[in-house]
Amino acid sequence: MADVRLVNLTKHYKQGAEVIRALDGVTLDITKGEFVAVVGRSGSGKTTMLDLMGLLLRPTSGSLYIDDIDTSKLGDRELARMRANRVGFVFQEYNLLAGLNVLENVMLPLRYVKDGKNGKPRAVELIERVGLSDRIRHRPTELSGGQAQRVAIARSMMNNPSLILLDEPTGAVDTETAQQLVDLLKRLNQEDQVTIVIITHDLDLAAQASRQIRLKDGKVLTDERIHANGAMLGVPVA
Amino acid sequence: MEIVRNVTRHKLRSFLTIAGIVIGVLALTTMGAMAENFNALLDGGVKYFSSSIQVGPPDGQQSATLLPISKVVEIKKIDGVAAAFPTYGFQAKPGAAPSFSFGVPDTIIAADPAENNWGNLQVTIAQGRQLDSTTTGQVVLGSTIAKEFNKKVGDTIDLPVKPVDARPDFINHAFTVVGILNLTRTAPDAFAYINIADGQMLLRDSLPAELRNAFDVKAIAGGIDVYGKPGTSIAELDKIANRINAQVPGVKATKPSQIVDSFKQGGAIFTTITTAAALLALIIGGLSVVNTMFMAVAERVREIGLKKAVGATTLNIMGEFLTEATLIGVLGGLVGYGLGAAITLIVNGTTPPGQSTLFLLTPALTIFAIGFATVLGAAAGVLPAWRAARLDPVTALRNQ
Repeated sequence: MADVRLVNLTKHYKQGAEVIRALDGVTLDITKGEFVAVVGRSGSGKTTMLDLMGLLLRPTSGSLYIDDIDTSKLGDRELARMRANRVGFVFQEYNLLAGLNVLENVMLPLRYVKDGKNGKPRAVELIERVGLSDRIRHRPTELSGGQAQRVAIARSMMNNPSLILLDEPTGAVDTETAQQLVDLLKRLNQEDQVTIVIITHDLDLAAQASRQIRLKDGKVLTDERIHANGAMLGVPVA
Repeated sequence: MEIVRNVTRHKLRSFLTIAGIVIGVLALTTMGAMAENFNALLDGGVKYFSSSIQVGPPDGQQSATLLPISKVVEIKKIDGVAAAFPTYGFQAKPGAAPSFSFGVPDTIIAADPAENNWGNLQVTIAQGRQLDSTTTGQVVLGSTIAKEFNKKVGDTIDLPVKPVDARPDFINHAFTVVGILNLTRTAPDAFAYINIADGQMLLRDSLPAELRNAFDVKAIAGGIDVYGKPGTSIAELDKIANRINAQVPGVKATKPSQIVDSFKQGGAIFTTITTAAALLALIIGGLSVVNTMFMAVAERVREIGLKKAVGATTLNIMGEFLTEATLIGVLGGLVGYGLGAAITLIVNGTTPPGQSTLFLLTPALTIFAIGFATVLGAAAGVLPAWRAARLDPVTALRNQ
């Protein structure tokens, strides 16, 4: 059963008289526990696809199912609840709240879920798993880029989401740190069987995913599974 | 906790914003306390005059406010009149330089002690006892006048008080203080009560020496206070006043409603002016909260986007910004009220004995001052919070 299913998903923007087809009828299934890299040039529709999958945007047409829930039928409050419970986000710029320490940043998503008051042990555990136990009371300004992104990853895992969406997570760190972050994501993916979708320009990172989707002009150009030995196996493009 | 951190994140800006509210609430507290004090004074007048009819000489027919005491008997026969008492009033400090005051000047009131049982404004004894209508040479002092002359029960006081430039033939008498009244915050605080016989003695003293023996002062009243049965309405007292005017020649009964209305009107004007000035200051402070909150929203666009991404609803975001604006209002309200209350207490505390204090802090004013600042803070946050809550998360997350 597909964890995430995009059915003819389309997002058009109007720019004056011109219609921009940011995503143009994309159909694909992402199975639970997959580690998917979405690549493509700027303007290919990667970010729009991530925003749609993250329920931050509403599609112009088509459907998006997460855990078999048709999200196109949900209202704003239900979408917010879905984001809180089923989706985690990691951004290139970390987006940590400067006024909160590491623990408080990781616990931020608890605020917007019903039974979020008892999540501190989970937050502490996640901080341990990303290797920042000694930084638990530090503010974001006291962290390196790699540490800040680890905090963002821990935050994205806080509410046990089905899906974690990462937008250029290694774009602001050096190569060594980027690899450490990828290793961390792979470990979390394997341990928690959480579905990971990464938007990236970094082909080295993309090559380490279990599946690579290449977009062009809002359409899926290629969709390939990556074997453990690095060989790519094409999957049908719908 | 995060809300507090957000407020303290920009210390100078938050300080200046809160200072705007503080100044407004301080103005509201002091001006309001002044209005409350004035209103308490007027309320006493309203209470007293809404339950009695003041009878004096007819308008413009005589220069002295004197009446034949026989009119008391005539008035008692009027339908609806339950009691009528002669009264006399004298300046307690004749010749004192006129000065601006919110209070009532020190006055000697000669009346039957039994009159205190009638009417809505009843004074109570704090120390000693009430006057004895048959024993002369006794006085019951209001709380302010007792403090002014530093008198306690058993002391004597010369009344009227001899002016520093008194003529050699100035007459006053020693009265023994038998009681001191509880504070009423209205006219009786400045009154020295003596009985009728002593009042008539002071009336004689007030006449020119050549005329003192020309009148039988026992046949004269300074005025007459008339009461209906307990619980008689103002409208009914007005009717009784009309009947007195129609049936008793040589007197003028003033309708209680006229006096009460003039008191209420005076109070309303004063309250409106003082409160409006203070509210204006507070609203200007509120505008600074609006400005601060708009700046906060502009600075935290990405934060808002992130919160939406992790599940915050429009209401969640609105609530957070509204709480922040409300916190600014509450802090400004508490500090402003605290400073205002301190000023009123200091000014009241340094008021010379015998002068009416200027301010009265009441629970209603306290609730209004802090409550208004809180509501103002919340109201000032509505528009910025709404703007924050309506931000598109995609745009907000990638805001530079």
